[in-house]
Amino acid sequence: MSGLLMPPVTQPDPGSGDLMIEADAVSKSYGTVHALDSVSVSARRGSVLALLGHNGAGKTTLVNVLTTALPLSSGRASVAGYDVTRDPFEIRRRIGLTGQFASVDTQLSGRDNLVLIARLLGAGRRAARSRAEELLELFELTTVADRRASGYSGGLRRRLDLAVSLVGGPQVIFLDEPTTGLDPSSRLKLWEIVEGLVEQGATVLLTTQYLEEADRLADSIAVLSAGKVVASGTADELKATVGRRTVTLTLDSDDAPARAGAALRGAGFAPVGGEDGTRGLVVPIDTTREIADVIRTLDQVGVEITELAFGEPTLDDVYLTLAEQHARIPA
Amino acid sequence: MTTQLTPAPRPHAPATVALKTPDFGGSSFVAQVRVLTGRSLRAMATDPGIVLFGLIQPVVILFVLTQVFSKMGMPPHFPDGVSYLDFVLPAVLVDNAAQSAMQSGVGLVEDLRNGVVARLRSLPVHPGALLVARSLVGLVRSAVQILVIMVLAMTVLGYSPNGGVAELALSAGLTLFISFALGWAFIAAGAWLRRAEPLQNLALIVIFPLMFASSAYVPVADLPGWLAAVAHVNPLTYAIDATRALALDVPGLDHAIPALLIGAVISAAGAFAALAGFRRPL
Ligand SMILES: Nc1ncnc2c1ncn2[C@@H]1O[C@H](COP(=O)(O)OP(=O)(O)OP(=O)(O)O)[C@@H](O)[C@H]1O
Ligand SMILES: [Mg+2]
Repeated sequence: MSGLLMPPVTQPDPGSGDLMIEADAVSKSYGTVHALDSVSVSARRGSVLALLGHNGAGKTTLVNVLTTALPLSSGRASVAGYDVTRDPFEIRRRIGLTGQFASVDTQLSGRDNLVLIARLLGAGRRAARSRAEELLELFELTTVADRRASGYSGGLRRRLDLAVSLVGGPQVIFLDEPTTGLDPSSRLKLWEIVEGLVEQGATVLLTTQYLEEADRLADSIAVLSAGKVVASGTADELKATVGRRTVTLTLDSDDAPARAGAALRGAGFAPVGGEDGTRGLVVPIDTTREIADVIRTLDQVGVEITELAFGEPTLDDVYLTLAEQHARIPA
Repeated sequence: MTTQLTPAPRPHAPATVALKTPDFGGSSFVAQVRVLTGRSLRAMATDPGIVLFGLIQPVVILFVLTQVFSKMGMPPHFPDGVSYLDFVLPAVLVDNAAQSAMQSGVGLVEDLRNGVVARLRSLPVHPGALLVARSLVGLVRSAVQILVIMVLAMTVLGYSPNGGVAELALSAGLTLFISFALGWAFIAAGAWLRRAEPLQNLALIVIFPLMFASSAYVPVADLPGWLAAVAHVNPLTYAIDATRALALDVPGLDHAIPALLIGAVISAAGAFAALAGFRRPL
């Protein structure tokens, strides 16, 4: 298997488990602020874990604890099988971090930034340069490679930051809001890179405010609110527990929505829409089998359907519902 | 409002990330220091303005003092056969060393602020490596500045020290050591304060007055009583007396031992405090 992955790891990682990220009742307080309150999350090798949460939810704090930048107040956490408190260096050998704020040396060129990190990881001059070249190409930075990073746009700096975090071929990659400030095509490119890395066996933890991103990339999602995990599971599980499924109908005549609405209500549904003269109607349902009931009901009153769409709840719905339930917005 | 809720299409096949597996075996502390030192030297070489900017204060002081004293005549305890320029130049070099030391602290603060330290912390890099690198870069900067000032003083101003080449080199070496010691003090201050302004204030409020309350610009015997008292316990007096004694071949070399001892203590305490301050979370 060739790819971004390191491991020139001499001894096998301890712990038989396949869990590459494991946080067990992790708490972290800043004085009286409980940034993390007994948080437990985990990610298997080769999976993507997304942390969702509003500002101040504790996402960055958890990333900092797991990347050994911040000591935890209580609980236990391990990455790649190593304990964050006992073996921070073993963890750092195996991780890549793209923090929320770009951390590149703005006095150096993009290329020199990459070479610097490779050299610090033990690469020889030649190996460092070729690694830099690879990453510059991957992140489409070749044209600006020899310019000082201080002159980079925000998006360029972000891309360089991502490239820098991959220099060592990490097994576990932490991305704290990695696509913030990227244009749509760069974002898509990043997603593809993440997918490629995961395909090669890397484990990724990403925090994001873009629900589309978590939906697309994550195998499991943990929703953080005020330092607590308020929901977790796969995207589908979250949608099933919180969101509603809907059938969206477009009908053939102006008076149809009123007739259809009455009939559906008679059949026990709670349709919305149609009052303002539009021909659309949204019908919440619990199971997909109810789609047939909806169609049958409309058939009985002779309403023609010109368009029908079945909708799963989006992660937005999940997020908003949870945020409403747990709205303890910190100042 | 009509909501069109359709499941998002699943991603297409991911782009192949065609990269070779890197085979980096990790690096020793010494290698890390070397790489990090090289990085700052490179930045310095591409932006030499910073090094030259550091020369402004010592050169201005040099010009002002030589002008003032050439008009006023020499104080009574002034050593014989020594021009005021000769007398003051070793002190100006020590002053410059202090300014350069301050720059080392500011450099560390920049690293802390612009994310370089955050990056290094996610890597298997020893925290001390960056501190040592900052200290070494300070030494290089000081050495360049000492050389520039000496050459400038000899060729343009007519600096003609009595000491031989070996003594001049020793004097410069001692000045470098003072820069090294003060560098650790400022690196420690930077690691704890993490802001540049307090460091600049420290240099202005502590170093600048201490230079005047020392043997730097006037022999201690010619200072008013209380200033002389301060000058007697001022470590800078010992440092300047020693560098001056070497360069000009005048008495005062006995002050080299205390200067070296004090410098060693400041270096060790500074390095210790710097590491402790630097280890704190960002
Ligand atoms: N150094 C600190 N000192 C005191 N409080 C802090 C510190 N860092 C974070 N906090 C607090 O801890 C909580 C969690 O912060 P954190 O940065 O982890 O949130 P986040 O989810 O990453 O938010 P964002 O989406 O804005 O990046 C917040 O209430 C924040 O104010
Ligand atoms: Mg954050």
